[in-house]
Amino acid sequence: MRAVVLDGIVLGLAFGLLGVGMTLVYGLGGVINLAYGQIVVLAAIVASLLMEDDVATTLAALVGVLAAVGVAVLLDLTLMRPVYRQHGEERILLGLLLTLGAAFVIGGLLTWRYPLGALYINISGEPVSILGVPMAVGSIWASVISLAVGAVLLLFFGLTTFGRGVRSVIQDETGARLVGINPSFVRTVVFALSGALAGIVAITQSMNGPLTVNAGFELTTFALIVTVVGGLGSVAGAFLAGVLLGIVNAVSAHYIGQYITSIILLGAAALTLLIRPRGLLGR
Amino acid sequence: MLEVVGLSAGYLGEPVIDDINVAVGTGEAVAIVGSNGAGKTTLFRSIAGLLPSMHGRVVLDGKDLTRRPAHRRSRAGIAYVPAERHLFPAMTLKSNLALGAYPGRPDRETLELVYDLFPRLHERQRQQAATLSGGEQQMLAVARALMAKPRLLMLDEPTTGLAPKIAQVAFEAFAELKKQGMTLLIAEQQVPLALSVADRAYVLENGRIRLEGASEELERNPEVRRAYLGVA
Repeated sequence: MRAVVLDGIVLGLAFGLLGVGMTLVYGLGGVINLAYGQIVVLAAIVASLLMEDDVATTLAALVGVLAAVGVAVLLDLTLMRPVYRQHGEERILLGLLLTLGAAFVIGGLLTWRYPLGALYINISGEPVSILGVPMAVGSIWASVISLAVGAVLLLFFGLTTFGRGVRSVIQDETGARLVGINPSFVRTVVFALSGALAGIVAITQSMNGPLTVNAGFELTTFALIVTVVGGLGSVAGAFLAGVLLGIVNAVSAHYIGQYITSIILLGAAALTLLIRPRGLLGR
Repeated sequence: MLEVVGLSAGYLGEPVIDDINVAVGTGEAVAIVGSNGAGKTTLFRSIAGLLPSMHGRVVLDGKDLTRRPAHRRSRAGIAYVPAERHLFPAMTLKSNLALGAYPGRPDRETLELVYDLFPRLHERQRQQAATLSGGEQQMLAVARALMAKPRLLMLDEPTTGLAPKIAQVAFEAFAELKKQGMTLLIAEQQVPLALSVADRAYVLENGRIRLEGASEELERNPEVRRAYLGVA
C-alpha cells in the first residue's frame, strides 16, 4: 500500500503541473486547451528524436521543452486571437473547437510521422529507499523536478509583481486594465508558461516509463480533471488536486484495474462539481 | 490638462454620447452631472479607453491617447474608478493597493498618503477585498487608483450604494485630495455633493452637453435648480 501511494504521489506531482498549465490558461482567457496533451507529446517526440541523434539528454530535454513553449505561443498568437475577441459562452465554445482541431492536427501529424515515437529517459542507479519503499532513481528525479518547479511557480505567483498581475487578470480583467496591465500580453506569457510546464511533464513522465506518441488525449483528460477538482485559476489548488488524484489513480489502478480508474477519476471531478463547484481552493 | 474633443461613443454602432467637449485644467475639480442614463459612464469609459470611441479625440497633457488601449492610458496618468469598482476580490486590501502601482512596486510615501486619507484602510490591510463593506470598497478603489500617482483621477458615481453619511465622508476625502493638488473629474447624480467639491461642472443630458459653467453659477441656474437640486 505504501509503495502504491508513493507511486501515486510521483504521478500526482506531474498531474499537478499539467493542472496548473491548464487552469491558468482557462482562468485568464476562458480557453480550455484541448490540445494540451498533444503539446506534452510534441515535447517528448522532439526530445526523443534528438536523443536518437546522440544529443546529450539534458540538451534534448531542454529543446523539447522549448519546442512546447514555441507551439504554445504560436497557438496563442494565431488560433486564439479570434477566440479572445468573443465573449462568454461563444468564447468557450470557439476555444474548445479550435483547440480540439489543434489537438487532432498536432497529434495526427506526430502519429503519422512517428507511429512508434516514444520518449524514455532511463536513469540508471540502485533504487533508493524512501519510507522503507525502494523507489526507482528516475521517479525520485521526476518528483524532485516537479516539486522544484511547483515551488518556483508558487513563489512567482505569490511574490512577484507580474505574478500578482496574472492573478488580478483572473479575478477582474477590467480592474487589471485599469491599473495598467495588458491582459493580452499576460495571456501570451501564461500560454508560454503552460507550454513550458507541458514540456517539463513530458520529461518527468518519461523518467518513470516510456511516454508514447498517442498519450495526448489521456494527458489532456488528466489535466482537465485536475483543473476541475483544484479550482479555477488556483495554482496551489491544482497541485493539491494533482497529488490527491495521483494517489487515487495509483490506488485504484493497483487494487481495481486501470480501465475503471479513468471512470473513478472522472467520478471525482463530477463529485467535486456537485459538492464544491469552485474546486478545492478556487474562489 | 485633459481635453476631450468632439467625442462620440456607444454600443453596437449606436452613439450614446455625441460630440462631447470637456476640458479639465491642472489642479481643477470638474463635475459631470446628469440623470441616470444621460451617458456619464459611457463618457468615462470612453475617456479611460475601456470603450472605443467613434469620433473625436482624448488628449492628456498634449498627448493624443485616442488610439491607445486602456492599460496604456492608465500608465499615461489617467486613473479611472468605475462605479462597480472592479477590485480584485480574492486578494487582500494590501495586494489590491500594490497592484495599483503596477508595473512598479508601491512606494512608501504614496502608501502613507493613501492611509492618511483613508485611515480605515490601514486597519484592514490584511482583509480580503470581497469582505469589505461598500464604503470601504469605494475607499479602496480610490486608494488603488491613487497608488499609480495619476495625473487625473476620474470618479464615476463614487457614492453608489453608500449611506448618505458615508457619501459625505467620501466627498470630504475628495475635497482633501483637491487641496493636495489632485486633478479630479467626477460624475455624480447627487448634484449638490458634486458641486460642493467641483470648480466647474458640465450638465449631460441624453448624451450631449446641455450646460456648462462654474459651480456657483450652475447652483443659481433656475433650470439646474429645478431638475437636479430639487428646488421649485
